[in-house]
Amino acid sequence: MIRLGLLKRTVLYLLAFGTVLVALFPIWWLVNTSLKTPLEFLGGGMTLFPRQPTLAHYREVVFERSFLRFFGNTAIVATAATTISVLAGSLAAYSLSRFRFPWKLDALFLVWALVIRTIPPIVFVVPLFIMFRELRLTNVRAILILAYQVYTLPLAIWMLLGFFRAIPRELEEAALTDGASRIQALLRIVYPLVTPGLAATAIFCIITTWNEFIYALIFARVPADFTIPIGIATFITEYRTLWGPLAAGSLISSLPLLAFTAFVQKHLLRGFALRGIF
Amino acid sequence: MVPEGARVQRSLGFFFREAIVRLGRGCNVLRLTFERSIHLWLLVPAGLLFLMFTVFPLIYNGYISLHHFQFIRRIFNFVGARNYIRLFQDGLFLSSIGNTLRFVALATATEVVLGTGLALLFNARLRGRRIMLPLVTLPMMFPTMVVCAVWVMLYDFEFGFLNNFLRFLGFSPIQWLSDPKIAMESIVLVDIWQWTPFVLLVILAGLQSIPDYLYEAAQLDGANGFQMFRHITLPLLSFQIKLAILLRLIDTFRIFDKVYAMTGGGPGYATETISLYIYREGFRYFNLGYAAAASLVMVFLVLGISILYARRMWKELRV
Repeated sequence: MIRLGLLKRTVLYLLAFGTVLVALFPIWWLVNTSLKTPLEFLGGGMTLFPRQPTLAHYREVVFERSFLRFFGNTAIVATAATTISVLAGSLAAYSLSRFRFPWKLDALFLVWALVIRTIPPIVFVVPLFIMFRELRLTNVRAILILAYQVYTLPLAIWMLLGFFRAIPRELEEAALTDGASRIQALLRIVYPLVTPGLAATAIFCIITTWNEFIYALIFARVPADFTIPIGIATFITEYRTLWGPLAAGSLISSLPLLAFTAFVQKHLLRGFALRGIF
Repeated sequence: MVPEGARVQRSLGFFFREAIVRLGRGCNVLRLTFERSIHLWLLVPAGLLFLMFTVFPLIYNGYISLHHFQFIRRIFNFVGARNYIRLFQDGLFLSSIGNTLRFVALATATEVVLGTGLALLFNARLRGRRIMLPLVTLPMMFPTMVVCAVWVMLYDFEFGFLNNFLRFLGFSPIQWLSDPKIAMESIVLVDIWQWTPFVLLVILAGLQSIPDYLYEAAQLDGANGFQMFRHITLPLLSFQIKLAILLRLIDTFRIFDKVYAMTGGGPGYATETISLYIYREGFRYFNLGYAAAASLVMVFLVLGISILYARRMWKELRV
């Protein structure tokens, strides 16, 4: 771009550093709180570094509270919901990327996915609640896996559509002329090529379900069924000042998410635009 | 003459052979029809999931909303449009719409303005940009509940960092989350902290697609920095900015978890949003018919706003 004067450069650097500081300070505060002893915390919360760092809060969270149980619930629900969505979504996305449909069925499908992305998730919750009651489905994990399709399926279809479109048709057409059926061409040629795309999509589905709040809050009524976000929310609303364990638990539960996002840096923008953000 | 038995045998063999051939042909026809309609079959799993968990619930929502449905007392009576009439006479519902719109406007506007500014900043050739940019976008990578936990700690009246800092500077502490006048703004601030990086990334992507030679040409023509921003950057960025506005609009409209965790809709009903109102009516009082009616009003609001906005966007894009 343009060459800048010295004064201008200094101002720009100061602004940039200020922004980094504002973005990082709350996160550092979380780390800081998780390492402080309760005594130091009550004595006045201004110290930027813990005087006597302790891992007691981490031990308490992992071994004494039902945190591991929440972690397990979240992992199971997120994985299963993602698997269903990526399987069904990849078949649909492949089909939508390759064929023309009568009555604009393809456009309808894609627009419907966007409409679902636009509608607030709380809207589906009353009918889903009654539906699962009528179906006598009481397993909270199963309920959440099915309900989360509202989020993950539109996300998977739209993300995968881009990945399938990027694969040249000629490759499968060569297989088709050699006598392979569509399914064979799809399984043997297209899926191996689109694997990175499938992985990125799966990661965004997992991030979405890992974060999900409303459905988990409404369907999980006893602590044994809680997912991590509900666990943290209960902690915030019920034990307002047990900050050490809260901070430690929050940090531990963020780690998988941070690791996942690191894998999908390239697709960050699309993924975050397509998933419902709160 | 062929013996009788042999004729029977042959015709039996003939029959079987014929049957197998026909069956094979039938299978072939089936296979061919399957192969020819494979594109439809591939849509079936996703289509069924859509039908069961999105289309049906929306329609069913409309049906429930016409009934007085009290889940606990097992009441289910047809009441026509009475739920809707009651909704628009309910001051609490109307004020929750007002609160939501206030949240949407404040958060979206600030995030887009701030995000655009930061995108311009980080588009300049600064040393260390590659390290700073991921650090700045870190807030959006954290789970929303963790973000809420952080800010509840910072906002706390007695032990929170912000009030300790104010006391240290000699000011009186602020009731960030329990003063009805500023509770909503406090939550907006959290949303800004978390999602401005997202707007920053959207705008930055747009900025980086503007070719350098446009600026060089303008510089040769003697344009100053502001003129270049006004006549090159802004017009070429308008799609990205509008996209950011649309996405933030959709996502702030559904605001639920931050409010639930940080204020629970309080103090009083100062931070009650539509999502929270539906949750309370539906899953605290179990007035499911009433909650369904409120849900549909919400759908019309959000779809109305976003479709109008998106249509204008596409029109301008084509022109």
